[in-house]
Amino acid sequence: MKRTKRAVALAAVATAAALALSACSSDNQPNPSDSPTAQNITLWLAGGDTPDSLRDWLKSEYNSRTGGVLTIEEQAWGDLVTKLTTSLPDANNTPDVVELGNTQSPTFTNVGAFSDISDLYTELGGANLLQSFVAAGAVDGKNYALPYYFGSRYMFYRKDIYAAAGVAQPTTLEEFNQAVLRLTQVNPNGIADFSGFFIGGQDWRNGISWIFANGGDLAQKENGQWVMTLSDPNTIKGLQQLQDIFQNASKAPSTAKDESPWLYINDSDSTTDKAADGTETDLPTSLAAATIMAPGWAHWSIGDLVTVDGKPARQWNDDVFGVFALPGADGQPAPVFAGGSNIGVSAASRNQEGARELLRIIFSADYQRMLGEQGLGPANSLYVDSLGSDQFAQALIASAANSKLTPAAPGWAGIEGSKLMEEFFSKIAQGGDVVALAAEYDDVLTPMLNQR
Amino acid sequence: MSSTSSRPRGHGRLNWAPYALLTPAVAILLAALAYPVGWQLYTSTLKFGLAQQFGQPADFIGLSNYTELLSDPQIWSVIGRSLLFCFINAVLTVTIGVALALLMQAVTKAVRITLQVGLLLAWAMPVVTSMTVWVWLFNWHFGLVNWFLTKLGLPFTNHNWLEQPSSFYAIATAIVVWMSVPFVAFSVYAGLTQVSTEVMEAAQLDGALGHRRFTQIVLPLIRPVLMIVLLLQIIWDLRVFTQIQLLQDAGAPTASTDLLGTYIYRLGVGSSNFGLAAAMSVFVLILTVLLSAPYVRSLLKEDVV
Repeated sequence: MKRTKRAVALAAVATAAALALSACSSDNQPNPSDSPTAQNITLWLAGGDTPDSLRDWLKSEYNSRTGGVLTIEEQAWGDLVTKLTTSLPDANNTPDVVELGNTQSPTFTNVGAFSDISDLYTELGGANLLQSFVAAGAVDGKNYALPYYFGSRYMFYRKDIYAAAGVAQPTTLEEFNQAVLRLTQVNPNGIADFSGFFIGGQDWRNGISWIFANGGDLAQKENGQWVMTLSDPNTIKGLQQLQDIFQNASKAPSTAKDESPWLYINDSDSTTDKAADGTETDLPTSLAAATIMAPGWAHWSIGDLVTVDGKPARQWNDDVFGVFALPGADGQPAPVFAGGSNIGVSAASRNQEGARELLRIIFSADYQRMLGEQGLGPANSLYVDSLGSDQFAQALIASAANSKLTPAAPGWAGIEGSKLMEEFFSKIAQGGDVVALAAEYDDVLTPMLNQR
Repeated sequence: MSSTSSRPRGHGRLNWAPYALLTPAVAILLAALAYPVGWQLYTSTLKFGLAQQFGQPADFIGLSNYTELLSDPQIWSVIGRSLLFCFINAVLTVTIGVALALLMQAVTKAVRITLQVGLLLAWAMPVVTSMTVWVWLFNWHFGLVNWFLTKLGLPFTNHNWLEQPSSFYAIATAIVVWMSVPFVAFSVYAGLTQVSTEVMEAAQLDGALGHRRFTQIVLPLIRPVLMIVLLLQIIWDLRVFTQIQLLQDAGAPTASTDLLGTYIYRLGVGSSNFGLAAAMSVFVLILTVLLSAPYVRSLLKEDVV
């Protein structure tokens, strides 16, 4: 009953505030919840990319600014599209503010899922915001979704294994492809199913780097229509290099996605195997890869196993681990997949004012710097220096320099939701005919690209 | 009717009581079933994509969704796989369930209670929870099953069970059967307790051996129960969704492992083609009715007798 009483009290205060506001302004505000006073709002964050410390700060900052309660709910990346599809149109169930992948942003922006926030654009950073992401959330010059953070993927590698195999850090894409093949063949530690480069067969988000690096593309817009370009000669060349890696350098299952590849690059806690005669042998259970490709914040999960406050944690060890941006054909950083998120206000939300206030908090200098300090690229270029200058910041900035987005086609989120890209890449990983598969999936995906 | 009422009822008088009693049930059925089915039928005639989900008007396209579906070879392989999967699973479930029920009858009370508690635990386990454990068991790198088979000297180090559709379906079958056997076992065991001991003793005195007593006396007596559980299993296994979806989330290739449930889900919610997905669901509804029609008819016949 306490809750009911509080809700009644809140409603009364909100109504009074709304009346007071309407008395002194020309705006007509019939709905009391249009007032920012104590609106309780919900923010959906995608995946675990935003650390807990930042979430706590957002909650307390929102509460102290508005008196309302901010609830943060985490959605898994895997079914984010389906969750957004079913929840956003429904005023009773919609979250008020949502983070979504930059590649999913055009689809939802085009169908009118987000509120027009053009009037806030300048206040939130304007031209200083990452423009390719701004474009992914804009239609006809109006802004609906804005960048939240960027983070591109780079390589983490085992210095000790590279050294033992006599392989130097590669400086071109061709060198990289050869290096990981050689690491797999030499396998200096004699580990079963060892991967020079561990990349899952369904991991298209990392795999498309080989397409981009060879000058290929996933799709292009011709005469106002989107067309898949998997059969483009440059795309095919990239896919063939990738198939060679899948088949000969990676022992990852053809069904693996891009989830937690760092499990395979850590030594990990060894399991103790006790034989019948009482002798014990330590088996390294995890180390199975010399190289992985992952977002920058993965470095928190890579390193030696240490104990912090009684809990196991990872401590980065410069003697064993290193990072580099995937080199392109010309030795410059390869155009990898530009990871990152956009953020928007649900058009169906009844708490527009509270949601807009949360955007002001997220785009504040304080929060942008906090993102950078955690290794997430801040949306506002004024604060990119907060990433620091350590090796992770350098690799992140280098890999982001040439990074590319997936096609800004209206149906792209539908393609992601259909998991057809995963299927296409896993068929290539299993050794399918690249040219035939590319033609087959061009035909399947092109109509979906243009579907609204 | 052996009622000895002193007021015999006239045939011409309409008695409202049964209809009044039926009304709530019919109302609930209409609300819970007619509305979604009606909406489904209506949507299946529309071009309904993500934009329509967000409130834009939908175009009426008649039966185009249906013709598009029926001309897609992928659909037919999904239907074929689903039917095969459903029959294999239903038959396996009922066979193992009957065997367990007979076992429960044969063992001592303590063993029976242990068995029943075990079955109940499997039945009561939330699907997502047990699926998490199953997925771990069959993990290619850390999984217990691979570890155990490797210990036995078999070449199963880092074997990926979900990669090939055949081993994918073998695991899915093991999981689905494991989850549904308790229901069959308990239902059939309940049926077995209704077989009167006099009949069995008489048969024994007449010299009928164990297997003849089972096939010629027990089976016919529990036939109604068997029919119902088999029908329910077929319907449930045709609609199987969660287990397949969670195995696919664990990495199985989607196109070659899709069954009807997951296929519709990916078509509709996944790639925002709700019109096509609605048409497909209507198709599955028809398929279910066709599959169960013979059973329902024979069940009705038995009810009359």
